[in-house]
Amino acid sequence: MERAIDSERPQQNAETTPRPRAEFERTLDAVRDNVLRLGAMVEEALEHAGRALMERDSDLADSVRWEDANVNELQRQINQEITVTIATQAPVARDIRELLALYHAAAELERMGDYAVNIAKLAQQLASEPETPMLRQIPLMEQLCRSQLRAAMRALVDISEVAAREVCARDDEIDHLYSSVYDDSMALMSVAPDRVKQATHMLFAAHHLERLGDRVTNIGEDVVFLATGQVEDLNP
Amino acid sequence: MATKAPDIARPGEQTDSQGPTIRIVATETDMTEAERVATPAPTSVALDFADDQVVFELDGLSCFYGGFRAVNEISLEVPKNKITAFIGPSGCGKSTLLRSFNRMNDLIEGAHVTGHVRYHGVDLYADGVDAVEVRRRIGMVFQKPNPFPKSIYDNVAFGPRVAGFRGNMDELVEQSLRRAAIWDEVKDKLKAPGTALSGGQQQRLCIARAIAVEPDVILMDEPCSSLDPIATLKIEELMRELKENFTIVIVTHNMQQAARASDYTAFLTMGEDRGGYLVEMAPTQELFTRPANRLTEDYITGRFG
Repeated sequence: MERAIDSERPQQNAETTPRPRAEFERTLDAVRDNVLRLGAMVEEALEHAGRALMERDSDLADSVRWEDANVNELQRQINQEITVTIATQAPVARDIRELLALYHAAAELERMGDYAVNIAKLAQQLASEPETPMLRQIPLMEQLCRSQLRAAMRALVDISEVAAREVCARDDEIDHLYSSVYDDSMALMSVAPDRVKQATHMLFAAHHLERLGDRVTNIGEDVVFLATGQVEDLNP
Repeated sequence: MATKAPDIARPGEQTDSQGPTIRIVATETDMTEAERVATPAPTSVALDFADDQVVFELDGLSCFYGGFRAVNEISLEVPKNKITAFIGPSGCGKSTLLRSFNRMNDLIEGAHVTGHVRYHGVDLYADGVDAVEVRRRIGMVFQKPNPFPKSIYDNVAFGPRVAGFRGNMDELVEQSLRRAAIWDEVKDKLKAPGTALSGGQQQRLCIARAIAVEPDVILMDEPCSSLDPIATLKIEELMRELKENFTIVIVTHNMQQAARASDYTAFLTMGEDRGGYLVEMAPTQELFTRPANRLTEDYITGRFG
């Protein structure tokens, strides 16, 4: 017995009378902005980690590792804001769904930041090894992950169930690239035993990107929950 | 419709519970076509209680004060041994609706109803139905605790005495006070005046008084609005215990109370003619996490008006 629900955000109408939930809406806006900012920070970290990997840039990789502290700090701040809001404002219906979705999305973004750090560390290890051509799928995966992340954040802001489902469906492309990296790494190891280390690092980098892609689909699931009130597995 | 209709007609009067004569009042005040259009239909709700689980069945109930329609064509079912909450803005008719459940509105000059309130299948407004007996079976607890200016004991014993109770009054008083979760606090001062108790205790005494006549339903009209949070939580806990034996219908301004304490919630609001109508009724957990109707959403999230 599914009940259809009306999930659009209430229209902001320019009335002169005080809006009854003005304070709550200001808080919610601030939390939403912070989650978007967190998304932008993680996207930048991923872009830098990817570039460090391709360009054997140890300094850039270092900066990704340092910047992660800011990601963690912002996530803690978001958690705190949401906890206080739930405790003091007793949100219900779409409001509680949105706060829970934002809380969970922030946790996923923090974890994605950690994957970017892992990739930066691999970039540093690869930079200290003799140069090996990067498997061509890895920069593709990195770009795809970033565009997926942007699309998921967009869907979150727009509360767009359709866009969220599209993001989740597109994760298959990342998975295919990953399995192709696996095959190529194995092949490289067998034909060039002196490159086993490099091949393993590349496989791990691809693995982190694949995991990161899964975290993006989790945000897509959050958006579907926010829009419909239903919990669904969109990355089975 | 329930097959076993309780006999709530005055003794000696002819009744026919299979098909009581329905007193339709003032049919000329039925809604005009324009009014019908102005009043959105309630969100269809997948509440389908088994017949023997339905205590009240409202069928197109409207309540009027003179020419003013305070409650507009409400149809809903109240399930047995559950707590059903009515929420909505001031003036949406929820108290009027609650009072129609035990014909309390009869006491108000110029009040009348159209449509049906069926209680276990019997139309409460049918000819021959004894309003006093209706109110014995369907008790009420009010907004402000209103103990009689009598002892605690007599407050509870009053109703049964009037009803001609012949059993062991001490036992009945103790049992009622126990069920209202106040026995331990008053057992040593049963002769003290009921008005000497704290507000929360007075309200539980009023609940004990309502229980003493062994009703089937307890209607509560904002029972906690004058109580502090701890006393409020005690009443809510008491309601959860009482629903084992009674059906409870509560009107509350406190949405969190409806969310915490009730099994089903009905949201009412008023139309352009200020008449209250039903927007949505759903299991409470559902209504407060994913309401189906935008009006419900705006009201419970505090964006109403």
